[in-house]
Amino acid sequence: MSVGPLVAPSRARLSARLSRTRGWGWWVGAGLVLLPALVPPLALTWQVLTGGIGPGIPLFRLAQLLGGTLGLTVAVTATALALGTATAWITTRTDIPARRLWMVVAALPLVIPSYMAALTVIGATGPGGLLSSWLGIEIGTPYGFLGAWLALSTFLAPMAHLMVTPALRSIDPATEEAATGLGARPLRVFSTVTLPQLRPALVSAGLMVGLYTVSDFGAVSLLRFDTFTRAIYTLHAGQIDRRPAAALSVILMAVALVILLAERKTRSRAGYRTSSAKREHRTIALTAGRRWAALGLLGGYATVALVVPVAVLTYWLARGMAAGNVIGPLWAEMARSIGVSVGAALLAVIAAYPVAMVTTWRRRRLSETVSTTVWAAYSLPHIAVGVAVVAFALRSTRFLYQTLALLLIVYVSMFLAQAMSPIQDSLGRASPDLEEASRGLGKGPLQTLRRVTLPITRSGALAGAALVFISVVKELPATLLLRPNEFETLAIRIWSSTGEGFYTRASAAGLVLLAVSIVPLLVMTHRDLSA
Amino acid sequence: MKRSIVLVGAILAMTACSGGDAEGPLVVYSGRAEELVEPLIEQFEESSGIEVDVRYAGSTDLAATLLQEGESTDADVFFAQDPASLGAVASLMTTLDDEILDLVDSRFADSDGRWVGTSGRIRVFVHNTGTDLPLPQTIDEANNPAWAGQIGIAPTNGSFLAFVSAMILERGEEATLEWLEELAANQPVEFEGNSPIVEATDAGEIQGGLVNHYYLLRLKAEGGGANTENWFIPAGDVGSLVMPAGASIISSTDMPEAANQFVEFLLSEEAQEFFATDTFEYPLIDGIGLGEGTPDLSEIDAPDIDLSQLADVLEDATRLVTEAGLV
Repeated sequence: MSVGPLVAPSRARLSARLSRTRGWGWWVGAGLVLLPALVPPLALTWQVLTGGIGPGIPLFRLAQLLGGTLGLTVAVTATALALGTATAWITTRTDIPARRLWMVVAALPLVIPSYMAALTVIGATGPGGLLSSWLGIEIGTPYGFLGAWLALSTFLAPMAHLMVTPALRSIDPATEEAATGLGARPLRVFSTVTLPQLRPALVSAGLMVGLYTVSDFGAVSLLRFDTFTRAIYTLHAGQIDRRPAAALSVILMAVALVILLAERKTRSRAGYRTSSAKREHRTIALTAGRRWAALGLLGGYATVALVVPVAVLTYWLARGMAAGNVIGPLWAEMARSIGVSVGAALLAVIAAYPVAMVTTWRRRRLSETVSTTVWAAYSLPHIAVGVAVVAFALRSTRFLYQTLALLLIVYVSMFLAQAMSPIQDSLGRASPDLEEASRGLGKGPLQTLRRVTLPITRSGALAGAALVFISVVKELPATLLLRPNEFETLAIRIWSSTGEGFYTRASAAGLVLLAVSIVPLLVMTHRDLSA
Repeated sequence: MKRSIVLVGAILAMTACSGGDAEGPLVVYSGRAEELVEPLIEQFEESSGIEVDVRYAGSTDLAATLLQEGESTDADVFFAQDPASLGAVASLMTTLDDEILDLVDSRFADSDGRWVGTSGRIRVFVHNTGTDLPLPQTIDEANNPAWAGQIGIAPTNGSFLAFVSAMILERGEEATLEWLEELAANQPVEFEGNSPIVEATDAGEIQGGLVNHYYLLRLKAEGGGANTENWFIPAGDVGSLVMPAGASIISSTDMPEAANQFVEFLLSEEAQEFFATDTFEYPLIDGIGLGEGTPDLSEIDAPDIDLSQLADVLEDATRLVTEAGLV
């Protein structure tokens, strides 16, 4: 067994070494990829600066929206991180029965779009709802903060689970075993040895969950909690004058940027690396009581996040079909959803390589800007991206307006961060010695890419592609605005059917959407989680 | 790997085809939901042989989109759920043929002939049958403090905004703002659309709401809505506003013939039957029977409002709704 260097080489030395090993072509690639990502924020800001904000928005209202958005974000991020880390730790380290199965199960709720999560909360807890009638008591729907927090935390925890699991696995077993050998109990090992090493993954996951919450529209809207996104959509959908919505979007973009910059300031730059020789972690034998507690947590979570949504959808479907409602074929919607999501996932991964390379390669101001831009594109509320791109395309690229190509470009820049982050993690965890060794042995940059970089980032790329697929397949507001005419996807079908009260059709589309999303998640968990 | 790329390519190609890139389809912007009008579009395609591409979104959304697209729009027809959205884009519309306009009572068409009503709907006060709260006799009584926290509204929905626009026409801005402020003070529960209001009323989460009449009828057809009834406010004020969904032809259309045929089709017996029996709205041409549970229009004490003017005050309506703190 060989132990990798625990202390990162000095930054200057690392940069000098890597600039020799990786070519300048990556910078060109990153620049090209970033161009479309720049459009929404710049076009939107330009539009607001030149077009004005229309009828103004009262300051107290702004403060209210800001408070709501930030409060929800902090609460959801903390909850999802705690829950996701718990499920990841239990399923990678302990000896609970059917551990691998639980590992997959804990990731599955990620496929449920936030608007379906919210509908589930309403459908389950409302008067006459599934849960209420089953328990025989009126629970009352937790509208407002509580409901939005519950729905978002529950369905975002898998994001943390998915990012923490590989990190847990890649931690060198030696450190934990040493602590255990010195007599530390599992929880103490976790908090003093494991947790500090998880920090990069936790920061990434927290950032993703937080930004998702800031830009989510579906859950806060249906559960009626006032945030920026809800206000933007409300203004956008209900007003001929789109300037106030654009103005709010610019403010929200600024909020997202502030969060990003704050996170970047506090981020630890120390890296933990493992050697290429990988070894399984020893499982921790839990006492019977603790095992039941762990199983209870996983089982309870699976019930709330998987069984209840499927039950609610099935209940609606059955009720409607019993009343003689026609569902209609969903094949075309399914083909479009799958096609566009696979395309976007593939393109996003390809586009993510240059940005992941240059951002892990040099911690210079320029590479910080690259990374920040990618995250800013991700954090923008999709409704705002839609508005901005529509305006831009009409003015500057009319030939792309309402085309599939434009939709794909927008998906890729919106979700580039999801593809980039796991690849960055893979690159960051791999020792730069590998690339240097390859070049030192006389291999060209392309060969190094094929023989070294791609293999060490494969699991990251797969995780990224799966995340992008799942995001695209359930994406709604930007799709609504940017899709070509007649391009109805499953997500759009669910939304429009729900809005018009056709719950039977919405449920059918919802169940299909779940099935479609579970496939890439299973493929990924098979290759990645249970590697 | 290669095989998977080919597969992805094939799927993408399939997607592109199903997206409909064929030359010269008639492009319809529909503020009416696909779930409602898709069968109708299919009937038209079948009987006319004209291919139709539909863009579905909210009526106000599409109106704003049309204004943004201006002359460069691909749209040939705008099919919207309220006269205010239609009127907002009047500058982009062509005047309809008299043969079309003559089919419909003139109060359900634009006075300048730029849009024509295709089906009628009534604003109602929907309520849970178990409630013992007093049903409003006027729209002002809908703000009765007894109903505080018990009423659902959809303040961004086109129909609600059209209703507020009508109130501005009837009472002026000041009185309308006053009414909206009273409504806001009564802490209404806000929804994105009408259907959820009816569902919530039926579930007893709220006791009533301001919606259009057909949402409940459709819920009943879906097998729900047993605990809910429509209440037609009898005062002859905007609480029982009758307004049409309607259609118009965009003047930059490159298919004026087909666009004309489409609007004519919406006023054909076939389409009007469909509106009556499938979407529970009011047919606007003579000789069509009403759908189950739809009261005769003559029983409704509707206000006398010039619907052509709704669009002129739509901006004011959205401003007042914001000022009152409802959005």
